[in-house]
Amino acid sequence: MRGTGGIQRTGRRAGATAAVPRVALLLALGALLAPTPAHGQTAREILDRVDRLLRGDSSRGRVTMEIVTEHWSRSLEMEVWSLGTDHSLVRVESPPREAGTSTLKAGQEVWNYLPRVDRTIKVPPAMMMGSWMGSHFTNDDLVKESSIVDDYDFEIVFDGERDGVVIWEFRLDPKPEAPVVWGEVRYDVRQSDLMPLDVRYYDESGELVRTMTFSDYREMGGRLVPARMDVVPTDEPNERTTLVYHELEFDVGLDASFFSLRNLRARR
Amino acid sequence: MAPSGIWWRVAWRNLWRNPHRTWIMASGLAFGYFASVLLVGLTSGMNAELVENGTRLMVGQVQVHADDYLPERNVHATIGGPDGTDVDALLTALEADPGVTAATPRLFGGGLLSSGPLTNAALLLGVDPRRETRVSTLLSTIVAGRLPEDGAFEVVVGAEMARQLEIDVGDEVVLVAPAADGSMGNDLYTVVGVFETGTPGIDANYAILPLSDLQLLMAMGPGRIHEVVTTVATPSEAVPGDQPRAPGLPAGPPPLDATPSTALRPQPAEAVALMHSMNFVIVLIIFSMAIFGVANTMLIGTFERRREFAVIRALGTTRSGVSLTVVYEGLILGGISLLIGAVVTGPVMAWWHRSPPDLGRWFEGFEWTGVQWRPILRVETSLEAPIFAAIALVVTALLSAFYPAWKATRVPPADALADR
Repeated sequence: MRGTGGIQRTGRRAGATAAVPRVALLLALGALLAPTPAHGQTAREILDRVDRLLRGDSSRGRVTMEIVTEHWSRSLEMEVWSLGTDHSLVRVESPPREAGTSTLKAGQEVWNYLPRVDRTIKVPPAMMMGSWMGSHFTNDDLVKESSIVDDYDFEIVFDGERDGVVIWEFRLDPKPEAPVVWGEVRYDVRQSDLMPLDVRYYDESGELVRTMTFSDYREMGGRLVPARMDVVPTDEPNERTTLVYHELEFDVGLDASFFSLRNLRARR
Repeated sequence: MAPSGIWWRVAWRNLWRNPHRTWIMASGLAFGYFASVLLVGLTSGMNAELVENGTRLMVGQVQVHADDYLPERNVHATIGGPDGTDVDALLTALEADPGVTAATPRLFGGGLLSSGPLTNAALLLGVDPRRETRVSTLLSTIVAGRLPEDGAFEVVVGAEMARQLEIDVGDEVVLVAPAADGSMGNDLYTVVGVFETGTPGIDANYAILPLSDLQLLMAMGPGRIHEVVTTVATPSEAVPGDQPRAPGLPAGPPPLDATPSTALRPQPAEAVALMHSMNFVIVLIIFSMAIFGVANTMLIGTFERRREFAVIRALGTTRSGVSLTVVYEGLILGGISLLIGAVVTGPVMAWWHRSPPDLGRWFEGFEWTGVQWRPILRVETSLEAPIFAAIALVVTALLSAFYPAWKATRVPPADALADR
């Protein structure tokens, strides 16, 4: 899409929705494993177990997404629902001009509902690397979340103290046949409570592309979670997308039928 | 030794000893001159077609952008920055330059075009339809429907896009585009036309709407545009090696950047450079052929005058005097030929340039090198070709005379006079 007059920026941005399952995964990583020390387990086993336990686990929350770019800044209030890693629904509540704008992720597909024109639009494959609401996430982030365990090989590459915190550093290498845009992904996880600290995304030439940082760990919905997440693109260090959870509850009794196109439109 | 004036007179007289032969030689050289100038004109015409066909559809001949727009084409890098510019004043300033024949503003956006369950990524192009048709042929490729009108939420789409999304004139589509304020602009539009340029990349990806409508969709003010495209009086001048021309570019803010089409689309320009060098070869071949014909005829002429040469040699004329008269003969012949050639070639070229033969009765237009070609035999004139051909003609006449001149000096007087 480069050289077409304007949307090349979106290449490194997109779906706020993406953040939700990713957070869910990492929250689950912390919440589920915290009571049982993970020593002696391989990285793969840890994440595999998280992945299995995540399926069927539903959540609902309220989140503020703040996007800061070189040219504009904006803040969106959103309500989010998720079911495992396959389903999520995000609805914008404010600003009023965009209230009702919703995004549904079901499996490998992403749909947007636009209340202004009362239309539902499926994000075409060519736009999967595009931005949602101008954030620093791509639609692809959202879709790939459900296959993270299938798409990557995991390895603990660091086990010890860094900056005064005892951590594990996981290295995620895409499997050769996996449809993944990253060359490598690194997760830092705090050993004491298995809270995620940050995630770094590298391209295929080993250049750092963006960094996701977690903070403000607090109890929400009965679990310790990082309530704040910042994403910073490496080539635009003054830009960021910040997600702050105000409410988060788990096992809210949703099933797959909730995540339907009909519901996408109905929840205006 | 006789003064050189006499050798000119002798040469002149010799030429008219056999006027038929002289006229034939002069006609041959004049025709060579005509053929050279015409062939160079035709290749120049093809070059001009190549450059203009490549630019006529969309690129234009000189593009003006904010100085930070290329090569990133950042959507925020509008002319004059986020506040935009006075578009009308900019266009007026550009068109005030005599080198600029027309100018049109454009705004680009990327987004989605959706109809029912089908959605494609689309390049959105905002134009002033009235001005755009003066600069590019893009909007004249509409094969169904009509031009979009300002403020009516109307859009025209490429034929391949229409096929993929199963839409036709009269259908309603949703356009979605990231807006300048970070929001997601979206609105309903009516498809009022379908265009088919023959260029797959354009037909499959572009949707064109009035500039003001795209500005509204992208939450941009009326002063915000990404580029002004101009046509210039002499597009064929924009070939590699030339300085990038920036006619009419207003000085001072906003900081602007002008890019000639040769920089935007270097391939046609390189083809032009290649064909340009071919002109030299064409002229070389034509006159090389002429050399043998003329030399042969002059050789016969000198052979016929063996006795004359023998007499003047016997009377004490130097060899250089004999050879000079033959060389002068060649020079006079060249002058006459050039005169005939110029008198014939000038009007023919002028006429051909003004009304190029349209071969549309026999040939269709066709797409080649990614652009649409018209079935016309176009000729471009220049000063360079006639001057080069004139030099080549005189050199030819001169070279043709050298061998006969040398032969003339080798005539042994006694043998020739004795008819041996």
